[in-house]
Amino acid sequence: MSSVQQYLLAVNADQGKALSIAKDTARGLESKQQTLIEVVQSLGEYINDEDATIRARVIDYLSQVIRQLSPTFLSRQQIQVLCRFLCDRIEDGGAIGGLRKLQALERFNKDMVAMTFRAMLAHFQDLQIRPQARRLEILELLNDLMLKHRDALKELGTESLIGLTDLINGEKDPRNLMVIFSILKVVMLEWDISGHAETLFDSVFCYFPITFRPPPDDPYGITAQDLKIRLRDCIAASEYFAPYAFPQLIDKLDSTSPNIKVDVSHPSTMLISDTLQKDVLQTITACALSYGISTVSKYSITLWDSLKFEILNIQEEDLAEEALVSLQAIAIRLGRGLNSTDPKTPLARYLRPITKECNEQFQEPEHKQVKPAGQILKVLGTASPFTFFLVVKAVVPSLMTLYQDADSVAKQRALLEVLAQIFDSAIAVYGTPSIPAPATKVENPLELFKERLFELISQALMGSAADEVSFRVVALKALLRLCLLRRYLQDNEIGMAVQYFDEIVLLEDQSRKDDLKREAIQALVELSRIKPNLIMDITFPAFMAKLPDSSPSDDRDYLIILEGLAQLSVERYVADTLIRRLLNRLDIVLQNEGSSTYPKAILSTLHYVLSQRDLDEDPNLSSYHERIVVGFARRVVLASIGKAPITALNEEPTLEILGRLATMIVRALDEHKQKAVALQIYSLFVDEADFVPVPFRDNIPKPQMSTMILSTSLMAGVSLQFTDPGAGSISKILAELARLAFPEDVPAVRKAILRQVGLLTNKFLLPQETDAVLGILKNLVSELSETTSAPMNAVRIVFWVAKGLIIRLAHTDEIMKCLLNLLSVTQCGLASARGFGLLLAPDEVLSKENGGKIRLLAKQKVFNICVPNIAKEFRTANSATKSNYLIALSGILKHMPTEVVIPETDTILPLLLQSLDLEDRDVKAATIQTLTVVSQENPKAVEGHVGSLVGRLLKCIMYPKANSAHVRHNALRYLRIFPGMVKDSTLLPYKNTVTRGLLNVLDDAKRNVRKEAVECRAAWFNMDEPRSD
Amino acid sequence: MAEVLNANPTIRNASDLPSRRRQTHARSSSKYPKGLISSTVPPSAYLPDPFSPSSSSDSELSDDDDAEIEPIDEQEIYDLISPISDPEHPLTLGSLSVVNLPDIFLTPTFPEKGSSSPLTTLTVLITPTITHCSLATVIGLGVRVRLEQALPPRFRVDVRIKEGTHSTAEQVNRQLGDKERVAAALENGTLMGVLRKMLEGCENGAG
Repeated sequence: MSSVQQYLLAVNADQGKALSIAKDTARGLESKQQTLIEVVQSLGEYINDEDATIRARVIDYLSQVIRQLSPTFLSRQQIQVLCRFLCDRIEDGGAIGGLRKLQALERFNKDMVAMTFRAMLAHFQDLQIRPQARRLEILELLNDLMLKHRDALKELGTESLIGLTDLINGEKDPRNLMVIFSILKVVMLEWDISGHAETLFDSVFCYFPITFRPPPDDPYGITAQDLKIRLRDCIAASEYFAPYAFPQLIDKLDSTSPNIKVDVSHPSTMLISDTLQKDVLQTITACALSYGISTVSKYSITLWDSLKFEILNIQEEDLAEEALVSLQAIAIRLGRGLNSTDPKTPLARYLRPITKECNEQFQEPEHKQVKPAGQILKVLGTASPFTFFLVVKAVVPSLMTLYQDADSVAKQRALLEVLAQIFDSAIAVYGTPSIPAPATKVENPLELFKERLFELISQALMGSAADEVSFRVVALKALLRLCLLRRYLQDNEIGMAVQYFDEIVLLEDQSRKDDLKREAIQALVELSRIKPNLIMDITFPAFMAKLPDSSPSDDRDYLIILEGLAQLSVERYVADTLIRRLLNRLDIVLQNEGSSTYPKAILSTLHYVLSQRDLDEDPNLSSYHERIVVGFARRVVLASIGKAPITALNEEPTLEILGRLATMIVRALDEHKQKAVALQIYSLFVDEADFVPVPFRDNIPKPQMSTMILSTSLMAGVSLQFTDPGAGSISKILAELARLAFPEDVPAVRKAILRQVGLLTNKFLLPQETDAVLGILKNLVSELSETTSAPMNAVRIVFWVAKGLIIRLAHTDEIMKCLLNLLSVTQCGLASARGFGLLLAPDEVLSKENGGKIRLLAKQKVFNICVPNIAKEFRTANSATKSNYLIALSGILKHMPTEVVIPETDTILPLLLQSLDLEDRDVKAATIQTLTVVSQENPKAVEGHVGSLVGRLLKCIMYPKANSAHVRHNALRYLRIFPGMVKDSTLLPYKNTVTRGLLNVLDDAKRNVRKEAVECRAAWFNMDEPRSD
Repeated sequence: MAEVLNANPTIRNASDLPSRRRQTHARSSSKYPKGLISSTVPPSAYLPDPFSPSSSSDSELSDDDDAEIEPIDEQEIYDLISPISDPEHPLTLGSLSVVNLPDIFLTPTFPEKGSSSPLTTLTVLITPTITHCSLATVIGLGVRVRLEQALPPRFRVDVRIKEGTHSTAEQVNRQLGDKERVAAALENGTLMGVLRKMLEGCENGAG
């Protein structure tokens, strides 16, 4: 049996075997056991078989053999013979594969290319009716020829051009079109197409616009966007297309304008025409950028006439934006290579009708089309220095006249906004001092108007009535732009502007001019980046002079000034000066009596400024340490023991801020200094003869007790290797802290002590010492459950000790078990339940930055221990303690990452539902929060509970006496997301209940509740309406 | 809808529209003494103590705040209707000055009964952008629908064209005032489509 026969038999049943037969034949040829002639001859008896499949398989066999041969095996003659043979048989399947293999060979010459190409053409009708995969094969052969033998095809000239368009004609499959577009693009770019532009253009433009929508889970991954881009490249490929492309594109743009076509009752038509128009506009842009100047120039004004409609009668924001891009593209193209601002250039001719139209619009500055007209000028001005020059020449003089003649502030504002847009393009063209634009020979045309513009805008900003806020905001923004424009205003002029901005911040009545003030500060901040010296010389003294020396009784203007100063200290040396001056000022303020709000604000400002810089690298760090940490701490302590006057610094809120500052500074200190600080945690840099540290003392006066706040902040700042050895073993100091915290009733001081407990057990405790602390904790817990009246502070201590250990994952299982047991104890169950909210809460002091050992898995672990336990115990708990479990759960969930919660939704959901019935408003609020998140992530889980959820939420919403506004508001917000999240069919039975129930909520006492009720009701009302997407 | 009736109307800047924010700012800044600085320095990052529930730490929502009643006022009505978009332009009725704060009136329906009767009459006067605007009825209808959906039943809503701003004001007013004609209009699918599109902007609108 010959190899052909074997192949024919095998090919149906076993592809692999068939392939190996072909491989054997190829090996035979290569080892010269067989000649090519013999192989071809062996096909003889089948090659004319009546059955087309048999013919196809035989050719396929030959192609497979060729594919298996090594690339250099076939001689030119042999290739020639094979090529002719395959071309003759091209209508039989399999030949294309063989030809693809042949053309890849080095010895395949251009005659063979022509032969192949002509063979395809001769049979193109035949080839077109083949299935998609076969057609793709043909196209790929063409593509191969195009890549490898482009010159040979090019020599065929018109024949290849026409031939290709014929071959491709009528193709509809997106995969094939992708190949076709890329083949045609090469022809369009490289062939001489002058006589055939229309044919070529029509062959691709018939596909415009692409409306293809890929099937769901499209295996080929071709998107409409891919096709659009390839088609667009073709249309933009040659300027010979312009006479066909532009008129047709404009036609499509006008005829599908939403103004005309859209039927409001079918929003979907809008969608289609919208994307279509976007496509048209993007194609216009591509063409404008690629066609030659004279061609673009020829159509530029026609294009403007249609594009302006899209922009001025703005219907859809993004379409107008696209049209602006097209306008700009034309200006960019016409300006390329230009070196004069002569009015006869194509660019100038293009701009003339545009600026004329805009000037006409500006006659009625209050009208809607003025804004888009300003945008037109902005994008055109940005295109190049030349367009900017021409635009300014054409519009700025008349804008200024119009401005001067305007009879209302509203008109002036509109015109000023246009000017500001022109300044924007000036910045784009000429850059700012920090970001200069590429150099250009064109002189800034605004130079001519400098004095008048500066005067006019200054007048608008400083000379108009104080309540014209929006007008003055526009003026301020315009002035800032002029200041930022590179090589425009002189330093003294910018200085004037800085003075204006200062005045606005300092002098304006504070209550109403928020917007303006904010803008003014923002402007100063921007200027401080480019002109720090002006800010230092002008703004700083002005601001500092306004800061009072003692706490003012009522007036709080200083807050604005301090905030301004804080934000202005972007530049390093500005910040250095600010810190120094603020500290001096604070010293003075502290000498005078007054409320602590002002010193607190100064400290807050210092905190902000210091937190903005890299303290580790700061050369002034040690002076901050001396002055702020050591200096103030000493002062506080001396005052507390009566050796210095008591100042605002000794009040707890001031101490807290001072503490935050101290932590930040101590953290940045070097090892040596930290060590020194570690020794002073309780003595606070005061000689022991004067001040005996608080721990291990009895009857401590209140002012001395509050120094514990500073001790906490120092303890937070030092690294863990510098624990204070003088204070004794950790268990001992822990017991002492517990003793101190127990009777403490000043919240700030108590919290400070408790935080020390947390820091000790978490940060400083060595791993081998945790066992001992666990023992202490267990004792504390058992004391708690045994006493009849468990004081709140005892519970607090237990939970802080536990917190420190749990987040470092030390003995978590045992500790959690103890804590969970507390929930069933009548006396301390409720307090303990609330304590669960503390365990995982993020804390400012016990944090990673302060060296806390916070393990990522702690949350997951606590969750995994708590949830099953609570779910189980809740069922059997007695009525008095049942709610404790729910409160504890809510505390845990509050700080739990969603991805941990979601898998347990089914366990938690019934508990959460019961939590909604509790009185506790915090728990209720937290529960609604959790439910909202859980439902959004896992809507399926709530589906079965819709009825009980809706009922309970309505109860939360409808009874304002039992539920805070916060709870009502959040419950409404949660209820609002049901439509769309849960199937309509599940919700429908409750629709009436909800909409009717909410009717009265529309009269709720709280405005934000009413607002939410309106939206919630609307969502439920509209849920079964067809949605526009 | 074939052509735009008033292609280039006068518009107002969004920041110039009446809003509650500016009115209340003076009050809130004295209430929260941290004022502006709170944006750069949080007053205290210390946690509320979970052991003392609903402590004063949450000052924004504390108890005395909860007790304060905020009555429905003209500004609230304005906020409800000003984000409705015009059927012709992607602009709001507020920015086109079709609805204006001074043209919203809340009066007790039975003033002689004093505060014992909660019934309130709400009158909204709308100002069409041009005197022959054929869409005035649609706009009026949109305002009416919005208010009826958003206000509690104790409000009597009366939407009319402001005197002297429309050529066929009387006719439009009669249409807007006639309950049955309003109800019939709402049965019309195409009209409802237009209204729905106008009201789309109200959801999540105006912060």
